[in-house]
Amino acid sequence: MFSRIINSLEEGIIAILLASMTLLVFVEVTARFGFNTGVMWAQELTLHLSCWMVMFGASYGIKIGSHIGVDALVRILKPKTRRIVTGIAVIAGLAYCTLIGMGAWVYLEKVYSIGIELEDMAIPKWVAHSILLIGMILIAWRLLVLLWEIITGKADGFKMIDEAKESMRLAEETKKIMAAQEGDSA
Amino acid sequence: MTTITLFVLLFLFLLTGMPIAIGLGLSSVTTILFFSNDSIASIALKLLEALSEHYTLLAIPFFILSSAFLSTGGVAKRIIDFAINCVGWIRGGLAMASVLACMIFAAVSGSSPATVAAIGSIVIAGMIKSGYPEKMAAGVICNSGTLGILIPPSIPMLVYAAATEESAARLFMAGFLPGCVMGLMLMLVIYVVARVIKLPAQPWVGFKAFIRTTATASWGLMLIVIVLGSIYGGIASPTEAAAVSAVYAFLIAIFVYRDMGPLKGVPWRTSKDESIASIVMRNLGQTIMAVPRSINHPDTRRVFRDASKVAIMLLFIIANAMLFAHVLTTERIPHQIAELIMGWGLPPWGFLIVVNILLLIAGNFMEPSAIILIMAPILFPIALKLGIDPIHLGIIMVVNMEIGMITPPVGLNLYVTAGITGHDILWVVKAAFPWLSILLVFLVIITYVPQISLFLPEFIDHLKGY
Repeated sequence: MFSRIINSLEEGIIAILLASMTLLVFVEVTARFGFNTGVMWAQELTLHLSCWMVMFGASYGIKIGSHIGVDALVRILKPKTRRIVTGIAVIAGLAYCTLIGMGAWVYLEKVYSIGIELEDMAIPKWVAHSILLIGMILIAWRLLVLLWEIITGKADGFKMIDEAKESMRLAEETKKIMAAQEGDSA
Repeated sequence: MTTITLFVLLFLFLLTGMPIAIGLGLSSVTTILFFSNDSIASIALKLLEALSEHYTLLAIPFFILSSAFLSTGGVAKRIIDFAINCVGWIRGGLAMASVLACMIFAAVSGSSPATVAAIGSIVIAGMIKSGYPEKMAAGVICNSGTLGILIPPSIPMLVYAAATEESAARLFMAGFLPGCVMGLMLMLVIYVVARVIKLPAQPWVGFKAFIRTTATASWGLMLIVIVLGSIYGGIASPTEAAAVSAVYAFLIAIFVYRDMGPLKGVPWRTSKDESIASIVMRNLGQTIMAVPRSINHPDTRRVFRDASKVAIMLLFIIANAMLFAHVLTTERIPHQIAELIMGWGLPPWGFLIVVNILLLIAGNFMEPSAIILIMAPILFPIALKLGIDPIHLGIIMVVNMEIGMITPPVGLNLYVTAGITGHDILWVVKAAFPWLSILLVFLVIITYVPQISLFLPEFIDHLKGY
């Protein structure tokens, strides 16, 4: 129950970010062609929305397994070796989060103490850029969960998207349409 | 030393199966920390800049969103009907029509495996029924599905544009003609084969039916016209065109085609004797009623979820790959490799052979966008020194990536084709092989006749008076 709420919350936030980015650019284009005016801050806002979507969504992607990787080697390993290799990979991933996170902290501290704002919008730069730190913490959290699952034997590798399998959903759908049509004509 | 560390680390990380994005980021960060004086904060800032300062890259989520709305079985069906009515009456027409349908659906959906799944699951069965060998049907579909990344709008081209800071609009212009040439080549071979093994032609459906299917398909076709028209005409940037196409795709999918959303299954015309006034009034009312419900409809939510998943994955890889490219350039690695290769006295055509072989091998193991991100920063400066046009290089890279989609072990199209035909991978590889050789011939032509890629961008420049 709790995880369902978190799930739909994450999906909702990402969807809203994506939708507002799209609409913002759409409105800006329409304003420019239809009414010959522009929205000065639109570009900067869109770019930051996209940045938030990616950094916020990257951790969600680890949870649902939408990231891609090269699994040719780990797939042929024995389950136990595979768990060890993945464990090492997850720890390396945690190192990545720590390093970038630390860098982000130092950077944010500097920007905060200078107190500058974004170029076109009156938003403090440290607020707009804080997503880098937040994102890294979220990714680290997901990696820790994965690490725990690997230690306890619930998982044995990164969840990976299988694009070929995803596309099969479309194949099923078209087959259904064809079947329905044949039913009609018969 | 730095070069070796960077690549060895990347290789090791990728082998553990970690997400490519993290592998790229971590190998760059460690290399910077060991070998350069850059502070850790500047690395974080670089990653942030990669995410928030490239307006062109925003075209990626928008195009993915627009294709998610139109990648439905219903759209595939309409495009196939249109394609069959266009070329079906020629000998071998059903196979030609599937090539044409793949070209159109690929341009709309932008994804190779999705094209194979949607078009393939309809036409392969149809072709077998009309007496085509199953191997030929599967092979044709498997190959023509790859056209998706060559015919604009194409995600790998946007990635190349971002990696090399070339104009995405010019790449989109450059990809169009090669895409058509490839399609025509496939159709020509199909025609010859059809003559030899005596394949049937479909009956001509009549002018009225032709107009009707064209009109139905034109809503989807308009998307390509809007996007390419506004980009080629210099009216809008690829990012803006992509945002417009996403909104357009939403409207078409939900209110016109009614493949998803609150109006799904509601017919435009309930019975033969419904009067025109009543049709207009009823549909107008239904549409207005459906607008608020369409926003939070489960179908809309699913499209957004699917699209954002892919977009985030790609953009996160790109951001980390830019960190990787940053290490490459600050360590002057491409420059060193360039000098090394220049030292061999390699002529441009020799360099292009090396490029093709390298990319074909890499294409067997990794996703197109990831390969382009890693290879483009290295190949680009060398190509410039040898006088090869960067746009031309981009097209060569994309064609190589196409071939990677139909060669084992990671050729996605092979797996999808295996899935829809129910045969094993080996059978599909054998079925695709003769058609793959056409793709290889095409690669040679594209590599050594740069005019095919450069004609359209130069012609448009000429029109604008440069």
